[in-house]
Amino acid sequence: MQSKFPSRLLPYLLLSPSIVIVIVFLIIPSLQSLYLSFFRVSPFGDRLIYVAIDNFTNLLTPDYLNSFIVTVVFTGAVVVVGLVVCLALALAANQKVAGIGLYRTGLIWPYALSPAVAGTIWALVFDPSTGAFSYFISLASGAMPNWRTNGPFAVVVITLAATWKMVGYNVIFFLAGLQTIPRELIEAAEIDGAGPLKRFWNITFPLLSPMTLFLLIMNTLYGFFQVFGLIDVMTEGGPARATEVLVYKLYYDGFISLKTGYASAQSIVLFAFVAGLTLLQFRFAKRWVFYQ
Amino acid sequence: MKKSRCLMCLLVGLLVTGLVVGMTPTVSEAVTKISFWHAMSAKRMPAVNRIVEGFNAEHPDIQVEPQFSGKYKEVLAKAIAAARGGSPPHIVQVYEVGTQTMLDSGAIVPVFEIAKAGEIDWGDIIVPIKDYYAVGGKLYSMPFNSSTSILYYNKDLFKQAGLDPNKPPSTFAEMEEIGGKIVKSGVAPNAVSFGWPDWQFEQMHTLHKQFYANNENGRSARATTVLGNQEFGVKVVSEWTKWAEKGVFIYGGPEYSANKAFLAGKIAMLYQSTSSVGSISKAAKFEVGTSFLPRLEGYQKGNSVIGGATLWTMKGHSQKEYDAIWEFYKYLVRPEVSAQWHRDTGYFPSTNTAVKLLMDQGWFSENPNHVTAFLQILTGIKVPESQGVRLGPFVAIRQAFKTALEKSVQGQLTPKAAMEEYAAEANKLLKEYGELYQ
Repeated sequence: MQSKFPSRLLPYLLLSPSIVIVIVFLIIPSLQSLYLSFFRVSPFGDRLIYVAIDNFTNLLTPDYLNSFIVTVVFTGAVVVVGLVVCLALALAANQKVAGIGLYRTGLIWPYALSPAVAGTIWALVFDPSTGAFSYFISLASGAMPNWRTNGPFAVVVITLAATWKMVGYNVIFFLAGLQTIPRELIEAAEIDGAGPLKRFWNITFPLLSPMTLFLLIMNTLYGFFQVFGLIDVMTEGGPARATEVLVYKLYYDGFISLKTGYASAQSIVLFAFVAGLTLLQFRFAKRWVFYQ
Repeated sequence: MKKSRCLMCLLVGLLVTGLVVGMTPTVSEAVTKISFWHAMSAKRMPAVNRIVEGFNAEHPDIQVEPQFSGKYKEVLAKAIAAARGGSPPHIVQVYEVGTQTMLDSGAIVPVFEIAKAGEIDWGDIIVPIKDYYAVGGKLYSMPFNSSTSILYYNKDLFKQAGLDPNKPPSTFAEMEEIGGKIVKSGVAPNAVSFGWPDWQFEQMHTLHKQFYANNENGRSARATTVLGNQEFGVKVVSEWTKWAEKGVFIYGGPEYSANKAFLAGKIAMLYQSTSSVGSISKAAKFEVGTSFLPRLEGYQKGNSVIGGATLWTMKGHSQKEYDAIWEFYKYLVRPEVSAQWHRDTGYFPSTNTAVKLLMDQGWFSENPNHVTAFLQILTGIKVPESQGVRLGPFVAIRQAFKTALEKSVQGQLTPKAAMEEYAAEANKLLKEYGELYQ
């Protein structure tokens, strides 16, 4: 069935609020960023020096490369650990046991917290001198892990916090995905003598693949863009730039160090990078994702 | 259908009330509203509110509206964004590091321009404060919260470690020795940590009569190089790194994050701003001692440097509003207001009269830890080296130093290499910034 708009203008009129919002809040600022990325800008923005592509060539420094590596390692860890753990949790939460509603609520809970609150909680728990976690670790091992001085440990703590923060989101989607899998398929396989592992690999996992792809993209974007709050509250990119992901570096250079031009160049690179990543994922994903 | 109509009515209703509310301020036009963005968190916040409430109660026609806007660096970033967006606040509290940025901004009104002659006795402002913030003998921003760094120590832990609680370390060598004893005795896992580690490095320079940057710390002309990679800076960082290797020093993170370890008894000593005197004394479950910052032997004496923040008046407001701001500034330097501010926080009162008032009230004899900073800064020697550093991209330079220090105490780089890396980055920042203002 097809329905028609009474006037050709009406659809555009209805779309116009969204278009205006996109233009005002996305397109114009992006163009401004692009423009500023060719300048060195004074803190208050009142003085500009044209520097051609200096801001971009300045990105070829060890610091920026370091941020890039940190981001890739961190995002990779968040995606892999997050998806594996959450799939396991979702499978568990998909069982018929007493009080399952309670467990599910508990799993989804962390997602409702703001990054700042989550960051504060983790910072308290892992505080090198007063945190509960640090205390138990020092009881068990005698050594005191300190993310203020130990870079790799800081990355681990941030990864844990970021993964934990996404548990609710991932579990909801995996659960929804699991519940759309027809029971007959699994029962038929069971009758044919397939064990639980085989059933999972040959039926559940392929049928879940659209959801997995979706979560893969969402978690990658999360790792890239949305961990800012956690890092700002917990480590401020430290120690010695160990947790300085690209987004945090951009924020720090742009808003704290007040290098607007350099930060604009970073934002352009980041935009290109993420756009490319998303396109790649969509293109390759078609080959192995099984849509029902 | 009915439901959606109800919702529609509600929305329209909200819109209309929104409009009405939006229009009402015309009624109360008689009151001049002054926005005041500050960074005073924790125990400092009620102290700010106390001042503002006192002022508002006295001036029914002026309403100062304090707004906590995050850490210092965040307040500065927000103020810049607001100024660039054309709606600056009236008053912004900017930390000492942002001084040069504000002077260069073209977005401020110097305090001497809104001042009415004779209404504030500038000669009464405590000298080190005036020295730090005056440019060519004139104050561009209003002194508000000034501090310096002192040594805090836990007397109970000293006793438990078999040390004399009235003999804190006064030199680097003593720090290493006493710190070593504390760690060895097992009363605390580490001996000492710093608040604001980047600022402590600046303190070390001023305290030992060393310039932090060329052109007299950027005061005689724009600085073009930092001097932290020279003999003195490398020496200080080497000492700190040596302490860290021995477990005497533990890097405590930025700003006030090391306070927690000190209050929990995980370290016995802390270098921190005097502005923590109030909160540490209240929160500590042990006897708190304070003393001067330990010195390196063999260097000339300078003075510890002022830290904290001043209030900047932003451009783009009416004369009536500037008059109101001036009234507020006058209120701030009143001896009793300034003295109360000191009692609540530990920040220096801004005037000599306020110091006398506190002394006469017996405050100092009852609270000896509040005197330490005064004695330290008043027994120091006034030299150009200790008047405070003025660098355009100072916030970024501090960050570069902090990163280098973290690399050094982690053992990722040698102190010398770390300081070279820091200086190279800082000098690049200075060059880029300087070119903007040629």
